[in-house]
Amino acid sequence: MKIETKRVIRNTSILFKKWSLMSLQHRIAIYYTIATAFLIALVFTIIYFMVERTVYKQFDEVINTEVSEIFSDAHVTRNSFTSFSQFKNRIDDKKVDHLDNKHDDVEHTKVDLEFTQLVNTSGQVINQSGNITKTLLTFNPGETQARYFNTTLSGSTVRQLQLPLRNRNGVIKGYLLMAVPLKNAIIVLSDLENVFLFSFPGIIVTLFILTRLIAGRSIRPIEKVIATAEKMTQPNINQRIALPYHHDELYRLSSTINALLDRMQDAFQREKKFTADASHELKTPLSVVKGTLEVLVRKPREQEHYESKIQFCLTELNRMALLIDQLLMLARYESNKTNPQIQEVLLHYTIDSIVSRMLPIALEKEISFRVDSMESDKVAADPGMLEMILENIISNAIKYSPAGSYIAIKVERNERTMLCHISDQGIGIPQEKLNTVFERFYRVDESRNSGTGGFGLGLSIVKRLADMQQINVSVKSLKNMGTTFTLKFPST
Amino acid sequence: MRLLIIEDEPGIAGFLKDGLEEEYFAVDIAYDGKKGLDLAMTNDYDLIIIDWMIPALSGIEVCRLIRKSGNVIPIIFLTAKDTMEDVVFGLDAGANDYIKKPFAFEELLARIRVQLRNTTQINDSLNAGPLTINPVTHQAFCNSNEITLTPKEFALLEYLVRNKDKVCTRSRIIEHVWDIHFDSDTSVIDVYITFLRRKLDNAECGNIIQTIRGVGYIIRES
Repeated sequence: MKIETKRVIRNTSILFKKWSLMSLQHRIAIYYTIATAFLIALVFTIIYFMVERTVYKQFDEVINTEVSEIFSDAHVTRNSFTSFSQFKNRIDDKKVDHLDNKHDDVEHTKVDLEFTQLVNTSGQVINQSGNITKTLLTFNPGETQARYFNTTLSGSTVRQLQLPLRNRNGVIKGYLLMAVPLKNAIIVLSDLENVFLFSFPGIIVTLFILTRLIAGRSIRPIEKVIATAEKMTQPNINQRIALPYHHDELYRLSSTINALLDRMQDAFQREKKFTADASHELKTPLSVVKGTLEVLVRKPREQEHYESKIQFCLTELNRMALLIDQLLMLARYESNKTNPQIQEVLLHYTIDSIVSRMLPIALEKEISFRVDSMESDKVAADPGMLEMILENIISNAIKYSPAGSYIAIKVERNERTMLCHISDQGIGIPQEKLNTVFERFYRVDESRNSGTGGFGLGLSIVKRLADMQQINVSVKSLKNMGTTFTLKFPST
Repeated sequence: MRLLIIEDEPGIAGFLKDGLEEEYFAVDIAYDGKKGLDLAMTNDYDLIIIDWMIPALSGIEVCRLIRKSGNVIPIIFLTAKDTMEDVVFGLDAGANDYIKKPFAFEELLARIRVQLRNTTQINDSLNAGPLTINPVTHQAFCNSNEITLTPKEFALLEYLVRNKDKVCTRSRIIEHVWDIHFDSDTSVIDVYITFLRRKLDNAECGNIIQTIRGVGYIIRES
């Protein structure tokens, strides 16, 4: 028993595995075939029973007519049975009747083969029509209602009525049995049954094969999608799936995958550019330091020469350290390992502290600040990250501002959101470059050693930090008129 | 030997100039591609070192334009671009050699020597009659007697030996031995030639440097 159960479980699991491995084409065909098989079986059954019912009803009517005739000939109503002798002649007459009119009455020809029998309550035959020879009609004792049923008489199927005969008090005194042979009708019915039974499996098998074919045809575009996707490896990502002719779900699937590939390719390209930029930025100072020191040690030199070269190398190394710091910061924020600690921050406090920290650098370049903040300027942000954002934007502003200009910081409320604008009067950013300023290693002047000293990572960090806190950063600029960065804080 | 360095990173250009000048090269620097191309087209350099990523015109463009003008001057790429594809691309653009940053200065020197070596030359030593000079060690010999020379004297002698049996005009000598910042007063050449002749004479080399009056100087093999 246990082993048997185990075997069943194993077989079932194998079946499930096979099912899950089955191709979509097969599964569609199987689902469709099962559903259709149910429908066809249902339709066949209904048709069969309807035909059967119609056929029997016809025979039942014939029997009924005959019975009514017997009653009317005997001059009795159905519920006024007195004695069997009332019917005796009637049944015999019928026989004669039938012999006489055999050739001129269609109605009688139809019923000439009826068998009539009178029995008492215990089933004893009182009287019967002459065409019943050996076998008796089937009798079910104890029936209280008139009942039509199928039975056999001398080996052939007949339709029979068993009608109880009641006296005026409603007591059953006997039964009138009447049967007509079904003959052709039963052949028709059994033929119909056979046709249905044999055609059913044929229909199902044909249906399965057809559905499989159609399903195969309709999912062929999917095979194409799979083939294209399989061919695609990272260096070969510029391939695209050919769009099918019809604008259907498969078209949408293909175009969605293509759009995804576009984005991926874009990301790969940006990543590649970033790697190239980062390696250039790291290798350049490394080459400078290495080369300078190599040239330096080739020959003995004066003390001052050594000092100036070593100082130069230190500056380069510091720059490199700064770049590595920024790259690491960017990597950390981009890998989403740090979660911002969002809390209520008073914007003007943050601005004040940054401005006072940046003031010495600004004053060195003769740049002043104009801060226009407001009292109740609570925003939801991570204080440390917000400080880093503002510091990066402001230090950029200082970097690109000419001497004698000012940097304006303005805080305002726009309905439910707080806005912070930081404007400079610097060189500005060309319109066509505005959407690339947040990209890593982007710099307005493109020559890498403009003396501004940045790497073009500051704004990428700003963008990343802002995104993490749902702060929207936008930038507007006019060439040689200045640039305005706007921070839009999430509504509190 | 006069070199042109096209490099936008002042740190790299700086130590290259320092180091190469110590090796008796005359060095000019261009900080962007356009300037570099101008210099390469207007001056007669012996070798050009180009960075790939430079403003105005990329190193590749500069290289292509130089080759397009029919100039076969040796060009060495010195760049941070380090993939195999980059190297192939650079060399196919017409460069003779490709050095990836960061590089060793000694290697750069060796590769410069390779490019300056004559195709018939077996080693770095150059000969002209009894005279042998070695640009690697900066030594000059006359019949195995070593001659002590100043860097400029050596550079001048090297140029004359490299171009032996050819007349070297004063202007060409100026172009190849002094850098662009030199005020082209050619009389300085005569002064250096006098110094050289005296030192060669002391080493019993005879009158190997001959004057072509009104034109320049020549060293003859025989």
